[in-house]
Amino acid sequence: MIKTTIIIFVLFFLAFCGFVVYDLTTAKRRKEVYRVKSSATAYLLLLPSVVLAFLFIMLPILYSLGYAFTDYYLLDPDNIKFILFDNFKELFEEISEKGMLYNAIKNTATFVIGVVPLQIILALLLDLFVNRPGFGSKIFKVCFFAPVVISLSVTAFLWQQILAPGEGGLLNSMLSVFGVPPHDWLRDPNTAMPCIIVLSAWQGCGYQMLIFLSGLSNIRKDLYEASSLDGANWWNKFWLVTWPGLRSTFVYILITVFIGACRIMTQPMLMTGYQEHTVTLSYYMYQVGYKDYWVGTSTAVALLMTIFIGGITLIQRRAFREK
Amino acid sequence: MKRFLISIISIILLLALSLSMTACGGDNGGGEGDDFEIDENGNVVTIVKIMFHVDKKSTEGQAYQKRINAFNAEYKDKGIKAQAIFKARTTGASGYETELTNNKIEGTLADIITFDAPNTAAYANSGLLYDISSLIPAEDQEKFFSLNKYNGKLYGLPIQESSAGFFYNKNIFRAAGIDVSAYTAENPWTFEQFKDVCARLKAHGVTAVDMRLDATKDETAPYLLYPFIYAAGGSFVSEDGLTAEGYYNSAATQKGFQFIKDLVNAGYTSNSIGPTDFFTGKVGMYLSSGWTIPELDNKYRENFGSRDGWGILPYPKDVTAASATGSWSYAITNNHHADKTAAVELLKFMTSAESSRAITDATGMIPARKDAVKDYAAGSPEYTLLKQLELSGKERPVTVAYPTFSTTFNQIIYRLNNTNLTDLLNSQARELQKEIDKVKDR
Repeated sequence: MIKTTIIIFVLFFLAFCGFVVYDLTTAKRRKEVYRVKSSATAYLLLLPSVVLAFLFIMLPILYSLGYAFTDYYLLDPDNIKFILFDNFKELFEEISEKGMLYNAIKNTATFVIGVVPLQIILALLLDLFVNRPGFGSKIFKVCFFAPVVISLSVTAFLWQQILAPGEGGLLNSMLSVFGVPPHDWLRDPNTAMPCIIVLSAWQGCGYQMLIFLSGLSNIRKDLYEASSLDGANWWNKFWLVTWPGLRSTFVYILITVFIGACRIMTQPMLMTGYQEHTVTLSYYMYQVGYKDYWVGTSTAVALLMTIFIGGITLIQRRAFREK
Repeated sequence: MKRFLISIISIILLLALSLSMTACGGDNGGGEGDDFEIDENGNVVTIVKIMFHVDKKSTEGQAYQKRINAFNAEYKDKGIKAQAIFKARTTGASGYETELTNNKIEGTLADIITFDAPNTAAYANSGLLYDISSLIPAEDQEKFFSLNKYNGKLYGLPIQESSAGFFYNKNIFRAAGIDVSAYTAENPWTFEQFKDVCARLKAHGVTAVDMRLDATKDETAPYLLYPFIYAAGGSFVSEDGLTAEGYYNSAATQKGFQFIKDLVNAGYTSNSIGPTDFFTGKVGMYLSSGWTIPELDNKYRENFGSRDGWGILPYPKDVTAASATGSWSYAITNNHHADKTAAVELLKFMTSAESSRAITDATGMIPARKDAVKDYAAGSPEYTLLKQLELSGKERPVTVAYPTFSTTFNQIIYRLNNTNLTDLLNSQARELQKEIDKVKDR
């Protein structure tokens, strides 16, 4: 593995050096003396970043790309064979047999469909709520942002206490006041994922609220004054002034929330464990790679997931492109 | 300009060269240079590295360190020195296992590692462990309650043994008028008698038993609950560990799981029992291992009045008696050291009767060696666990796909009440079979 790394590193480095030499000799041939000196300095300064980017970004990507076509078994790393598309074939078989991967895709889709709109709408509502001068707006901002800085494992634990089965659970004990019998929220396949969606939206919306707030600050105040003079009500102002002004912020939030949602793992892992009704793609990837030791299969899932997320992100960008 | 260009390229090449050389150094496994040292008399001392799964500052970690110090003192003149590495399981057993596999990839695997016994087959099959069958004499092997064997070969020796049972609150039992003195490790109660006691406890107004049905995110539930399946005459895989279909989903296996399900349906147990409910007198019985004894002796002594306020009942039997066994073990690894002489010396020292006693004194578990076991008073909690281990201890399934077994078992317990048991067992048997085939075909 180290030898391969060195070969890749040397190839990459030679390519970088070749590019530098080509650029500098071209500049020299054109007698651009100033550019030769400035470019040389720039390349030298760039070098540490390029090396770091190669080691910590490029190399893992290249390796995981390569492993997707191997039978890499974590307990036997010295014996890796190329098996071409066997991993992908196995994954598609598992989907067709409605195995765990099928559930992972289904649950991830459910989560994304649930959490993306919920989190964005919550963030927008909170943003409109706190973006008013008056007493308490700063306190509310801090309160709404607080869940973002709390560790996911801590919030998952807190919500486990809220959703605990039996009469001891906070939610169950509150509902019992209205005569609702205790429910096992996280074991019931119908309620487990909605609970995780609500928890995730609650935790994440504070961050999006801040981004929306910065977007709101860019909307000119005179537009609101003009619309008031034209007799616009609250809804007209929101729909015709605020929303168009937040469009680019919205696209950014939509894409980041979507990507984040596709990668969900911690909440189901801590709250339910590896279960059919809550397993997600990232969790499946972790389980297969680290618990069952099949790194090859796991990286094949990662590759498919990257292609899928990349594809959807491109579609989103195109769909919301400024005309 | 030309000189400038040459100097830039020279710097780049020099950097590349130095980086490559640093990387090449990694080929030695990062440990080659640390394999030997020269002592003050100029003699070569072989370094043997041993990796533990606990924190150095924990009671167990300190016990290991003391034994390592004792080894170094004893072997000072024999040219061997042990070096302990502590990698605490901060993220559960899987985190430690990830560390092990990373070390293997990096070539920095310690000479001896500690590992969870059910992983013997998977580790041995992958070549992680060294076959020590010929290095440990047969008479020494006989001194252990259990051995880490796979395909007839010895791959590890246990650090300590474990046995689980039903801790019960004697005060609650007395108040409910329940006499369980006849149920001993030598004469375990039956499934029906167990249900009867649960019914009487329920009638008394307490939750009958905490079966730890909530502990399905790690190895706790499989470890505590698998004996019920063996007791009902079921199993999980064939003798050779290669077939799951027909075993995991057999009628007898289903009967074992059904027994647990019946307890839930009857309201004797549930997954919503609080972690301290037994210790605070809300639950009559609590399924747990020997590690609960120090907790009851120290943390909750007041709650039970005295040590006489609680006891341990054995696992109930049906077709046969079966109880939980297995703990962590030592193994010599297949690392870059071809000569295992020094590692074998350390392994023998760490598994000696003295070491066994020293470590179990710290952990409260049962010593791995028969000759290290203390004379417990008949009827005492420790006696019940020890006798049960001797008479009905049955290890978890030996299979190369143990991690998948553990996952599928947890899923069964998790879904016990929401799914049809027959369908669930069929799908879990298929899942395990698929994984076994995949590992074997590799």
